[in-house]
Amino acid sequence: MPKVYVGMSGGVDSSLTAALLKEQGYDVTGVYMKNWTQDMPGMRCPWADDLADAKRVAVQLGIDFKVFDFENEYRHKVVDYMIDEYKRGRTPNPDIMCNQEVKFKLFLETALEDGADLIATGHYARVDNSASDSAMANSSYAQPAGAHSSDEVPPALASERSAEIGRKTDFTVSGRLAQLKLAADTNKDQTYFLYRVSGEALQKVLFPLGSFTKPQVREMARERGLYTAAKKDSQGICFVGQIGIRDFLSQYVEQVPGDIIDKTTGKVLGRHDGAIFYTIGQRHGLDLGGGLPYYVVGKDMDKNEVYVTTNLNDDSLWKPEVELDEVHWINEAPSEGDYKIRVRHRAALVDAHLSYDGDKVILKPTSPERAVAAGQSVVIYDGEVCLGGGIVA
Amino acid sequence: MKRDFIYLDHAAATPLDERVAKAMAPYYTDRFFNPSSPYAPSIEVRRDYEAAKASLAHSIGARPDELVMTAGATESINLAFGGISGHVVTAEIEHHAVLRASEKHDHTLVKSDEHGLVSAEAVKLAIRPDTQLVSIALANNELGTVQPLREIAEVVRNERRARLDRGNRTLIYLHCDASQGVGQLDVNVARLGVDMLTLNAAKIYGPKQVGLLWAASDVRLTPQIVGGGQERNLRSGTENVAGVIGFAKALELATEHRKYESDRLAQLRDQLEKTLVEAFPQAVLSGHPRHRLAGHLHISFPGVDAERIVFALENRDVLVATGSACAANQGTRSHVLTAIGLAPEVADGSLRLTLGHLNDEVSIAQAGEIIIEEIKREMERVKR
Repeated sequence: MPKVYVGMSGGVDSSLTAALLKEQGYDVTGVYMKNWTQDMPGMRCPWADDLADAKRVAVQLGIDFKVFDFENEYRHKVVDYMIDEYKRGRTPNPDIMCNQEVKFKLFLETALEDGADLIATGHYARVDNSASDSAMANSSYAQPAGAHSSDEVPPALASERSAEIGRKTDFTVSGRLAQLKLAADTNKDQTYFLYRVSGEALQKVLFPLGSFTKPQVREMARERGLYTAAKKDSQGICFVGQIGIRDFLSQYVEQVPGDIIDKTTGKVLGRHDGAIFYTIGQRHGLDLGGGLPYYVVGKDMDKNEVYVTTNLNDDSLWKPEVELDEVHWINEAPSEGDYKIRVRHRAALVDAHLSYDGDKVILKPTSPERAVAAGQSVVIYDGEVCLGGGIVA
Repeated sequence: MKRDFIYLDHAAATPLDERVAKAMAPYYTDRFFNPSSPYAPSIEVRRDYEAAKASLAHSIGARPDELVMTAGATESINLAFGGISGHVVTAEIEHHAVLRASEKHDHTLVKSDEHGLVSAEAVKLAIRPDTQLVSIALANNELGTVQPLREIAEVVRNERRARLDRGNRTLIYLHCDASQGVGQLDVNVARLGVDMLTLNAAKIYGPKQVGLLWAASDVRLTPQIVGGGQERNLRSGTENVAGVIGFAKALELATEHRKYESDRLAQLRDQLEKTLVEAFPQAVLSGHPRHRLAGHLHISFPGVDAERIVFALENRDVLVATGSACAANQGTRSHVLTAIGLAPEVADGSLRLTLGHLNDEVSIAQAGEIIIEEIKREMERVKR
């Protein structure tokens, strides 16, 4: 019986994930990943309650439960990265970094070392292993129809292979491994957050929720009487979710007031308390009084200046092309041509032409795409397959 | 009231007695007046409030003007410690409220024996010439062990006498946190021989956030909450009239039924203990075999994760407390269990079962069966 370690956050998605895998006959262990948390005056990070809920569900299911303490790694790989990126004037995405560095690297490695054959999470995405040489996580098996049939037997193990991957820390082997595909619930699809995961890592990953919609997941959790069935979805990441990114950052960077300048007239319109807090395309929080809304179209981190405009047709808000670096492909790099891209989580997939310029990827959307800030990720799709993506230079 | 769960955590909270609720209700609505206002209805409310305090004082054998009403035991403890400038003696196994308050002073923590008993001899050895306060709980909240307060009071009295002889004018007081056990033990201040006593309404089927500190008339207290000068200037803030009326009713009922109720609970507890120990001969009982609160059962199942049992029992509508750590505070086991020398794998398998009004023979028998089932299930799972 393959041993699956399920990342259980105490939410309904990962609870049902564990329940479904157990019904399918896997030997399931629930794991709560303790990430970095910070005590904020007057705020209570709900991680202790979430941990208790995860454990409650594990007890309900009669499965093993463990706590993996990733606090230090999370702090270094995710929190520090996020603060550094903001200091550089960019807008990073900590969830993407968390998936790349923590959930599908550190958690995977730790789980395999601990004796797991596979890991699973409650992400809304699908893994297709049909083209890969791994027999373990075949996709038809990973996507149950919600049936409770107990005579289903998990596929045989390619155990030599799992042991070998367990020891590797570098998942950059080229060639087609496992494919990441859009979730059936296009509204919940989370592939945007998963594009920096390696194809080799995906061979060891199950996403049992990929073929369900969120309402179905809630219903199935309710049918099974899972403790977390009616629990509200968490908002953002724990350490900033409650207070907002601005308050979080102000504890790490000095607030230095600077000018807000009208890009077209060059006139100083007002003061801000640090260019770091502004993101290209941002509309709110400028406190410039009435009239037409202002949008941030640029900033100069050295001069600590923020440039704004009321002109919604401003060039910097609508870029005819997007340049990506730190490009990551889940499998092999695609050839130049037409693909679909997504510029933020839940944004529509839009057509774009992909070409290369050395290490960089140049994307030309068919129609100009609304401002994408430096540091944000653009994810590239071929049909329903998520190929990878890069970070806006 | 019909309840669909079996509640075995009376040491954590008790439901408001319906008679208490009834006594309190008018003071939230019809008799809402501020007892400090000058008109007749207010004066009536003040009279009722004072009568309630008199009743509380009567229940513990004290004078009404020696009581300070507070918002619970933690506040009472803070008030008791607030006027102290010198050394403090307390026990390692005390409640966090006492431990945290002690940390503000030069203090010595007395060790207990393996049953959680703090001996008068150990307290005596810890007292220094500059010790101003000794604070020992009447009963330990985790183990239920009842402390030899009278003997400890004797030690403090002897110290006081010896200081007089030596010409040492440092005052020494004995404070007792009796929040745990007031429904089952005698809390007469003269018989206990204490100088200060903390009580809490919430543990005796009274309202939460209502407590009192009794201090003998020669004890000088320092107010921790200042303002309008209520409670003889020792605790400002408009009086919690309904709360104090409820507290008085609750203590009255507890005192009246104490003998009957503690016998009843001891029988139920012994039955539950017997059932569990027969099913699991390897189970470890903690707390003093004889000097223990009637409704208190602290039992450990070595190698079992008690928090899993709590969740499994919750699923079966049986509500219990873990005796020690939970996953959220990994590595920080109960300071009490560590202090009495319980091995980590025993401490981690500890349940605290505390019985009270909501339990009867039928529900305890049911609870016993369910607990056995769930622990067996968990032991099976771990074995696999």
